[in-house]
Amino acid sequence: MHVLELLTTVPGIWVWVGALLTLAIFSFLFGDNPLYKVAEHLYVGVSVGYMITIYYWNFFKPDLIDPLFRGGQFIVIIPALLGLCYFAIFIQKLSWAVRIPMGFVLGWGAGVAVPAMLQSYIIRQIQGSLLAPEMLASWDTIVWGIVSFLGVITTVVYFFFSREQKGALKVVANIGIIYIMVGFGASFGYTVMARVSLLIGRLQFLLRDWLGVIS
Amino acid sequence: MNFAERLGRIDRRIVFAFIAVVVIVPFFLPLSILSRVSPEAQRLFDAVEDIRPNDKPLLISIDFDPQSMPEIYPMLEALLRHAFARDVPVVVMALWVTGVGLGELALNQVAPEYGKEYGRDYAFLGWKPGFAAVVLGMGRSIPETYPTDQYDTPLDELPVMQGVRNYDDIPLAISLSAGDPGVMTVWIPYVQARFGQDLGAGVTAVSAADAYPFLQSGQLTGLLAGMKGAAEYEFLIAEAGYTEAATPAIQAMDSQSMAHLAIILLIVLGNASFILTRKRK
Amino acid sequence: MKQALPRLLCLVAGVVMIVQFFVPHGVSETLFSESLRWVRIISAFALILGVRSIIAHHGTRVRRRTAGWVYSAVTLTAMVVSTFIGLFVGKDANTPSLLASGAQTPIPLHMQLLYENIMAPLGATMFSILAFYMASAAYRAFRARNKEATLLLVAAFIVMIGMVPIGAAIWTKFPDVAQWLLNVPNMAAKRGIWFGIALGMIATSLKIILGIERGWLGGGRG
Repeated sequence: MHVLELLTTVPGIWVWVGALLTLAIFSFLFGDNPLYKVAEHLYVGVSVGYMITIYYWNFFKPDLIDPLFRGGQFIVIIPALLGLCYFAIFIQKLSWAVRIPMGFVLGWGAGVAVPAMLQSYIIRQIQGSLLAPEMLASWDTIVWGIVSFLGVITTVVYFFFSREQKGALKVVANIGIIYIMVGFGASFGYTVMARVSLLIGRLQFLLRDWLGVIS
Repeated sequence: MNFAERLGRIDRRIVFAFIAVVVIVPFFLPLSILSRVSPEAQRLFDAVEDIRPNDKPLLISIDFDPQSMPEIYPMLEALLRHAFARDVPVVVMALWVTGVGLGELALNQVAPEYGKEYGRDYAFLGWKPGFAAVVLGMGRSIPETYPTDQYDTPLDELPVMQGVRNYDDIPLAISLSAGDPGVMTVWIPYVQARFGQDLGAGVTAVSAADAYPFLQSGQLTGLLAGMKGAAEYEFLIAEAGYTEAATPAIQAMDSQSMAHLAIILLIVLGNASFILTRKRK
Repeated sequence: MKQALPRLLCLVAGVVMIVQFFVPHGVSETLFSESLRWVRIISAFALILGVRSIIAHHGTRVRRRTAGWVYSAVTLTAMVVSTFIGLFVGKDANTPSLLASGAQTPIPLHMQLLYENIMAPLGATMFSILAFYMASAAYRAFRARNKEATLLLVAAFIVMIGMVPIGAAIWTKFPDVAQWLLNVPNMAAKRGIWFGIALGMIATSLKIILGIERGWLGGGRG
C-alpha cells in the first residue's frame, strides 16, 4: 500500500516511469539487451492485463452476466455456448466442435462482406471513375479525370495474370506499371513521414514532459 | 576504399545519430514555417463546422492504439476541441480494444477545458467485440449495441444520447484509424456504403495514400493524413479562435521537414555512391 | 456430422446474410439483428482464446526454464498484477471495481494509470525506433537501378518534400505537385489495387460460403 500511495501521490513520478521505459526501448538502437527485453515483455504483460480488464468490464459484465442474471435474457446462453465451443480445441475427443462457432462466424462474415465489398470497393469506385459530375467542371478536371480513368484500367490490366502479357496487353500493362510505381512511391513517402512522426512524438515526450527543456 | 565506396558505407550509428540530431535541433531552433492546409483537411474541418450546435452528436471512433499515438492522438484532441468549442455533442467509441484508454485520456484532458460535463455534453461508449457486428448493429440501434457506456451506465440515462437511435441521428462519423479494423476496412464498406453515413477519417501516414480513391468517390468527406494532418487541424481550429491549447503536431512539423530532407539526402548519397561505383566497374 | 454441421452453419449464415442485404424484409431484419448480438458474443470468446495462447506460451517457457524464461516471468507477472488492478481495484477513476461498490476505487490506482504511463509510452516508442532503421535501410538499399525504381524514388521524394511545410518554402508549387500526384496517378493505381482486393475478397467469401474453401475445417481432429 505504501508503494502504491507513493506512485499516486508524488507528482511527476509517472512521467519518470514513462521516460525510463521509453529509454529502455530506445536502448535497442545499441543492440538487443536485457533492458529492452524486460520493457518489451512488460508491454506484452500489461497489454494482456488491459485486454482482460476491458473484456470483462465492456463485454462480459454488460453483455453476458447482466443480461443473463439480471435481465433474464436466457437467449444469450446459445451464442455463449457456441463461443465456449472454441475451447473444445483443448479436449482431444471434442476438438472438432471448434468448427461450429468458426463455421457460423466465417459464414456470417463472408455473407455480410460480399455485398459490402461489392458496393463500396467496386460499384462506388466505378461511379467515382466514370460518373463524377465534378470531373466536368473545367478543362483540367476533364484531363485529369481521363488520366485517372486510364490509370485505373491499366493498373487492373497489369494485375490480370490469367493470360500471358504480350502484344497490346503488355503495352497497356506497362503503362499500368507507371501508375503503380507512382502509387508505391507515394506510399513510401508517406511511410517515411509516419515513422518520423512517431519518433518526433516520443522525443517531444522526453524533452517536454520529462526534461521540460522545450515548451 | 575510394570516395565513392566510402560514400555508400557510412556507419549505421552515424546515420542514427544524424537522424536524431535533425529531429531534435528544430525543437530548440524552430524554423516556424507555416504549414499549408490541404484540401482534405479543410473539408473535414468544414464538415465538423456544418454540424448544428446543441443538436445531434459527432461520432468519433478510436481505431488506433498507443503504437500510432504521436500521429493520431493530436487529431483526436483537436477534433474534440473543435466540437466542444462549437457546443457540438460528442460520442466516442473504440473498435480497438487497446485504444480505449486513449479515448479516456483525451476526454479527461479536453472536456474540462470547455466546461463540458459527462453524460450531458459527451459520452464514451467504449469497446465491444466483433467490429463488423458492432458497426452494423449501430446502424440498427445504438442502445441495443451498447446497452451501457464505458462506465457501465445505461445509455438511456445519458441526456446526450436521448433521441440518438442509429446513424440517422449522427450527422458525421469520424474514424481515427491506424489499420484494420478501421476506416477503409470497416467504416466505408459496412457503414458508409450500407447506411449512407457521412464519414470523415484521420489515418496514419502509412495508409494515407490508399485512402485517396475514397476521397475522390465522395465516400470520405475529409481526411487527415498522419501528423501533418493533425498539424493542419490544429492550425485550423487555432485560426478560428476555438483553442489556445498547445499544438504538439504543429511544433513537430519543423522536425518533420528536416528529417525528410535528411532522409532524402541519405538516399541521394547512397545512389551517388551506387552510380559512381557502377561507372568505375 | 463433424464436418457437415459446421459447413451447413457456414452456408446458411452466409446465404441468409447476403439475401438479407438485398431483401430487407421484417423477418430477415429481426434475424440480422439477433445475429449481430450472437456474432459479438462468439467473437469475444475467440479473443479469449488468443489471450489464453499468450499465457500458455509464456507459462511453458517459465515451467521448462527455457532460455529467456525470466522475461516470460516478467510478462506473466505484469499480466497478473495489471489484471488484478483492472478487475479488483478499478478500470478507471469512474468505474466501480469488484472490491468497492461505490464509484471510487479503494486505492487511488487503476488500470487507466497503468495504461497511460506504462502501456502507452512502451507501445508508442516501440514503433518510433523504426525511423532510425528505415533511414538506414533507405540509405543502403533504395537504389535507382531501373526506370521503375527511379519513378518510385521520384514520386516518394515529391511526396516527402511536398507534404511538409519546408516543401512550399523551397518551391511554392511543391505542395501542388504532391497533391496532384496523390489525387491523380496515385489515386488511379490505388483504385485499381482496391478493385483487385475486393474481387479477391468476394471470391474467397463465396468460396467459404459454398464450401469450396475448406482450410478452416482443419482446426480440429476428425
